[in-house]
Amino acid sequence: MKRANLFFVVVVGALVLFTLSLAMAEELKLGRFDGVTIKACLIGGGDYEKIYENFFPKFEELTGAKVEIVFKGNGFDIDKKMKLDFAAGTVDYDVCWNHTSFFSQYFDFVEPLEKYFTEEELADFSPRVMQFAKKDGHLWFIPRHADISALHYRTDLFNNPELQQKFKEKYGYDLRPPETWEEFKDIALFLNNPPEIYGTQFAGKEEALSGRFWDILMAYGGKILDENYKPAFNGPEGIKAATLLRDLYQAGAMPPGMVNFLWDDVAANWANGTIAMYTEWYGWYSYFQNPESSKVAGKFDLARQPKGDAGIHSGWAGAHAFSVTKFSKNKEAAAALVKYITSYEPQLFEGRIGYIPVRNSVFETLKKEAESSPDPLAKKRLELMQLQINEDFTPPPIVPEWIPISNILYPTLQAIMLGDKTVEDGLNEAAKKVEELMAEAGYYD
Amino acid sequence: MIRSIREGRQRFFDRNIALLMILPAIIIVTVLIVVPMVYSFYLSLTNLNLLHPSRARFIGFKNYLKLLEDPIFWRSLMNTVIFMGVAVNVEFFLGLILAQLIFKVTRGQSTVRTAIMAPMMFAPVLVGFQFKWFFNDQVGLVNNLIYFFTGEYHLIPWLINYPLNLFALLAAEIWMSTPFMVIILLAGLVSLPVEPFEAAAVDGASSWQQFRYITLPLIGPFTYIAMVIRSLDLGRAYDLVRIMTAGGPANRSEMIWTYTFRLAITDNKFGMGTAMSFVTVVLSFAFVIYLFRQLAKSRQEVY
Repeated sequence: MKRANLFFVVVVGALVLFTLSLAMAEELKLGRFDGVTIKACLIGGGDYEKIYENFFPKFEELTGAKVEIVFKGNGFDIDKKMKLDFAAGTVDYDVCWNHTSFFSQYFDFVEPLEKYFTEEELADFSPRVMQFAKKDGHLWFIPRHADISALHYRTDLFNNPELQQKFKEKYGYDLRPPETWEEFKDIALFLNNPPEIYGTQFAGKEEALSGRFWDILMAYGGKILDENYKPAFNGPEGIKAATLLRDLYQAGAMPPGMVNFLWDDVAANWANGTIAMYTEWYGWYSYFQNPESSKVAGKFDLARQPKGDAGIHSGWAGAHAFSVTKFSKNKEAAAALVKYITSYEPQLFEGRIGYIPVRNSVFETLKKEAESSPDPLAKKRLELMQLQINEDFTPPPIVPEWIPISNILYPTLQAIMLGDKTVEDGLNEAAKKVEELMAEAGYYD
Repeated sequence: MIRSIREGRQRFFDRNIALLMILPAIIIVTVLIVVPMVYSFYLSLTNLNLLHPSRARFIGFKNYLKLLEDPIFWRSLMNTVIFMGVAVNVEFFLGLILAQLIFKVTRGQSTVRTAIMAPMMFAPVLVGFQFKWFFNDQVGLVNNLIYFFTGEYHLIPWLINYPLNLFALLAAEIWMSTPFMVIILLAGLVSLPVEPFEAAAVDGASSWQQFRYITLPLIGPFTYIAMVIRSLDLGRAYDLVRIMTAGGPANRSEMIWTYTFRLAITDNKFGMGTAMSFVTVVLSFAFVIYLFRQLAKSRQEVY
């Protein structure tokens, strides 16, 4: 009897799946590509590869095409490989990885995708993210998942009645997650009690620091480059952003060693309970919420990043994506693969692993699932992510020079924070160097 | 007729035999060293940028002139000179003391010799990570030791403030490389003849006098060889600095190697980076020539 039941369940399940997949293939209009081999150059490592393993076989079943991954590596490896292959004319893959921070380097390299996708097919994606997938009227990639930071703050401190009272007496408003960067500064200075706990901190070098500067700069309405590609970060907005960083560092509300920290140092400090509040990527969440690895498990909450006086919430972000190469001999099939792998089911699968989805329907499903989660933050976290992805998502300037610009910016920001240079001098010097860089790259020819 | 050709050929071989024998070496050196050197020197005269290789053009000595005007270049040069000067000398003195001590060990000398080589067995990257942790201002060993002994919590930013960060780098470098000096100097001590020491003892020289007037001059050649090797090696101590401070913060601990890498690879200014490498090469040559002159002088004194 039991066995018969099981058999019944399996058969029905298989039938349902089969119908679903048929329905989906029809809905997606993938087409048939029997005998076609699609070669792909993709981001590899850990969780990134799970959707390839789980969904490429299904795609092969649905379309009759064969998918072959010819290269897997981290973003920087793929970037190097694609540039070299492009220069040498040896691109032999149809589908490639892409990323909001990198894609402006690949315009000669990837196929505009607008003719392969209908409006309805793209409607489910966050319009905000899609806005950054377009340049010069073309659609260059289809996003896969995104990353953005949220404000992390310690509830044991923010909800402490004694601290709340003292804060109100001192600043005249309630102690709550900061809504503006000015409030952020007040609270960081107020909760600062080194060496037990620092008011705040960020990763203090390389792109990590330039990116946080960009975060604050955009909130004040500033830009790294203006529409003529001239440096614009040394205006009043940039001065405000850099001054904020300097004041917090000079006041000791950030640890002195911070200018040598990278992501993992800061995350470890947060998990060790030595930071009162800061902005951090969502990706660390399960590590922070695990009592074995983190002293702050269950003792923190998340909020939208503060805004500046331009009314913009900080939202330095990026998105992994897929593109079709210009050199593909089967662009239809390659586009079908991109369409399938960025469709609802694979995206939901990645959302369940913990990546930030870029499809609103995936968010809705995940939020429904989170209602039964024992984690009290599960649903709130997803709602916050969705809000940020749809409203705050802002990648750094879309120029291949972003990393060289960042390499000019971050030592300058360090010098400003350490007091080696004044805010104005530092930013003006950096702006001059960026202008030289852009001139050499031919932007002003 | 044939005979004279044969003779002529024979004469050619006789006359040029030396040249012919070293011809393979010349070819190999030319292909592997001279050609790349000349080509990279040419690159240093261009504005080659890795992001826009097609825009590269000849700009003469502009890169070199730009470097001379670049304050970070001068700072990195000064840091490097201090770093090399202090490291090589401290390593030498520590090495000499340790070598003397080990030389005097009568039992288990080989065990001590092996033990002292331990730091040399670690990859510089690992040493870098270890010392980065030692000097971490919040959780590092050094600050915690200070707290342990003084009872007061001083948050000394070892890797941030200048010249503390140079000190931290030097500590790692010296820990890692002193054993090398010890081994070379110990080899020198072992190879010294006993007669001069016996004669000095008969003449009533104190042990300090023996050390100062016999040991030191006799191991002179070893000293200079060890110093040349160490200074050239130091010229490649990129990994340690990269891990511990990466030349930062705000270029405070920048060395010529980290700055060269930053220019050539991270900032894509390959022409500029090659120019900087050439400056480094010239400086290294000057330093080595100086040391070799000293070596020759000390040889003359001894023999």
